[in-house]
Amino acid sequence: MISIGIDAGAATTKAVVLRENEIAGYTIIPTGFDFRKAGEEAYREVLSNCGIGESEVGKILATGYGRSSIGFADKTISEITAHARGVGYLIPAAHTIIDIGGQDSKVIITENGKVVDFLMNDRCAAGTGKFLEYTAKALEISLNELGTLALVSKNPAKISSMCTVFAESEVISLRAQKTKKEDIAAGLIESIILRTIVMVKKLGIKPEVAFVGGVAKNPGVVKAFEKALDTRVQLPEEPQITGALGAAMLI
Amino acid sequence: MNDQMAKNDIVLRSLDLFKDAFPGRINQILKSKEEGKKIIGTLCLYVPDELIYACGADRVILCGGRSAPIEAAEEYLPRNLCPLIKSSFGSVIDQKCSKTKSCPHFGLVDLIVAEATCDGKKKMYELLDKYIPTHVMDLPQKPENQNALEYYIKELESLKDVLEKLTGNKITDVLLRNEIKSANETRRLLHALYELRKRDSPPIRGTEMLKVLQQMHFLAPDEFRKNLVLLFDELKVKKRESSGPRIMISGCPMASGNMKVPEIIEERGGLIVVEESCTGTRAFWDLVDENKEPMRALARRYLKIPCACMYPNERRINQILKLAGDFNVDGVVYYTLQFCHGYNVEKYRVGEALKKSNIPLLSIETDYSGADTEQIKTRVDAFLEMLE
Repeated sequence: MISIGIDAGAATTKAVVLRENEIAGYTIIPTGFDFRKAGEEAYREVLSNCGIGESEVGKILATGYGRSSIGFADKTISEITAHARGVGYLIPAAHTIIDIGGQDSKVIITENGKVVDFLMNDRCAAGTGKFLEYTAKALEISLNELGTLALVSKNPAKISSMCTVFAESEVISLRAQKTKKEDIAAGLIESIILRTIVMVKKLGIKPEVAFVGGVAKNPGVVKAFEKALDTRVQLPEEPQITGALGAAMLI
Repeated sequence: MNDQMAKNDIVLRSLDLFKDAFPGRINQILKSKEEGKKIIGTLCLYVPDELIYACGADRVILCGGRSAPIEAAEEYLPRNLCPLIKSSFGSVIDQKCSKTKSCPHFGLVDLIVAEATCDGKKKMYELLDKYIPTHVMDLPQKPENQNALEYYIKELESLKDVLEKLTGNKITDVLLRNEIKSANETRRLLHALYELRKRDSPPIRGTEMLKVLQQMHFLAPDEFRKNLVLLFDELKVKKRESSGPRIMISGCPMASGNMKVPEIIEERGGLIVVEESCTGTRAFWDLVDENKEPMRALARRYLKIPCACMYPNERRINQILKLAGDFNVDGVVYYTLQFCHGYNVEKYRVGEALKKSNIPLLSIETDYSGADTEQIKTRVDAFLEMLE
C-alpha cells in the first residue's frame, strides 16, 4: 500500500511517499504563488524520484496552510495533527513539538502521537521563518549565514521589536551603532524564540522536545532553544517533512 | 450519511422570521417615532429592558458587529481598541454625518442608555454624547459587596427618572410588573429552546441559534417572543438532527453582523451547543422574581450577569463549568475580541478551571476583519481533530 502526504506550506510544499509504513522518498519545493500548482509539482516530482507510477498510489492526504487548494487529495487534515503523527513516528520519545515554519509557529503537546493541547501564533508572521528571512536581508547575509554567524556571538544584541518590519529598522540602527554582525544575528534569533518559549511555558513542557519546520534547519536557532529551555532538543533527520509524513500516515 | 444530511437539511421556516426581520422592524420604529414614541438605544445587558418598555418607549441595542463602520470610527478612536466599541461608535457617526445610511436605526435613537462596564466603552460614551444624548448608568464593580445592590437600585431609580422625564410617562409598579412578566416569559422560552440543545442530536445548530439571539437585541419583545414560540413549535415536530464534537463558545458578545468564528466552527464540522456570552446564556439565564418589589427584584437579577468587568468573577467560572456539564460539552472555544482586557485576562482562570475538569480549550482572539480566517480554520480543524 502506497500513500502520499502533501504539506502545502506558506513557503515550501513538501511531499512524502509512504510504502508499507516506511518512507520511500520525499521532496521539498518552494510554494510560490499557487498552492495547487506547487502541490501538483511536488506530487509528480516525488513519484518520479521514487520511480512510482500514479496507478500504484493508494490515497493522498493534504495538510498545511494551503491544504484546501490541493484538489486531488482524498482528504485534508490540519498540520497540527499531522506533525504530531509524523514526529511521533520519527521521535517516539518526543511529547513537546515546536514547529516554526515560514508563516506560523506552533507548540504541540502529544500523548501516543495524538494532540492533547496546542498553541499557534496569531495572525502576524512575527516569530516565524519570515522574520528571519526579512531581517537577514537587513544584515545583507543569507538565512544560513545568519544561523552560523549567530553561533559565534558572545554578546547578543537586544532586539525588542516583535514586528518584522520594525525589527528590520532596529537592525539598521544597530548597524549604524556599529554593533557586531554576529551579535545582531544572535539577537534576532533570541527575539524569535522568545515568542515560542512563552507558548511552550503556557502549555507546560513535556519531555522530550522535538523541533521541526524549516527554521529547525538553522543551527543558531536550535542552540538558542536548547539554552533557553535548558534541555536538549531532538531534530528529525529532515525537519521539514514531518507534516507531510504525518499526513501520509493518517490515511 | 445521506440520511444524516437530509435530517440536517430540514428547513426551519420560522428561522426566516428572524432573518428577514430587519426592514419590517425599521418601519415599525419609524412609525412609532411618528406616533411620538421615544426610541432608546442600549449597548449592554446591564440596562434592564423592562424599565424602558414600562415607560412606553421602544429600544434597540446598538452594539456593532460589522467591520465597515470601523474606519470612520478610527478618526476619533485609537486603532488598538475593541472592534465592538469602534463598530458601534462608527455606526452612530455614520448615521449622523454621512449619506450612506446602511443601519438607519442608529440614527433614530432619542436617548442612549449606556453603562459603566469597561474603560473603552466609558470613554467612547463621552464622545457619543456629542451625537446622541447619552445617559451613563454606573455599575458596582464588586457586585458581591454588601452595599452593591443598594447602589445599583439607586442607579436604576435615576434611570427611571430620566426615562419618565423623556417620555412624560410614569413607570408605575403595575406597568413594571407586566414588563417583568413578559420578559420572564421570553427567558423561559429560551430556556426551553436550550433544553433541546442538550439532546445527543440537537435540532438546531449554534449558528442558527446565534442569529435568533442577535435578533433578541433588535426586535420588539412581543414580536421576538411570538417568533420564538413558532420556532419552538416547529422544532418540536420536525425530526431535525445535527452532529459533531459538542462545542461551547465562551467569551465576548457576537453582535449582529459578527458570525465569523461560529461559522468556521460549524463549517469545519463542530456543533455549537451553548454560548456563554451576551449573545447567549448571559442574555436570559436568570429570571426576575415576580413576587418581590419590582425595582429590587430587577436589580437582583441584573447584577447576577457574570460579565468580565466585574470583580471577583468566580460566578462566571462556575457558570461555565455548570454549562459544560449540563450540555455535555466536548470542548470550549474561548472567544475574545482584540483589546478586550476583561475577557482576555479572565481567560487564564477559565482555562485553569477547565483543565482541572479535563475539558479542552481553544482560545481565539480576533476582530471583525477576515485577515485571520485561514489561521482560525487551521486551529479549529486541529481542535476538532483532537476532540474526535
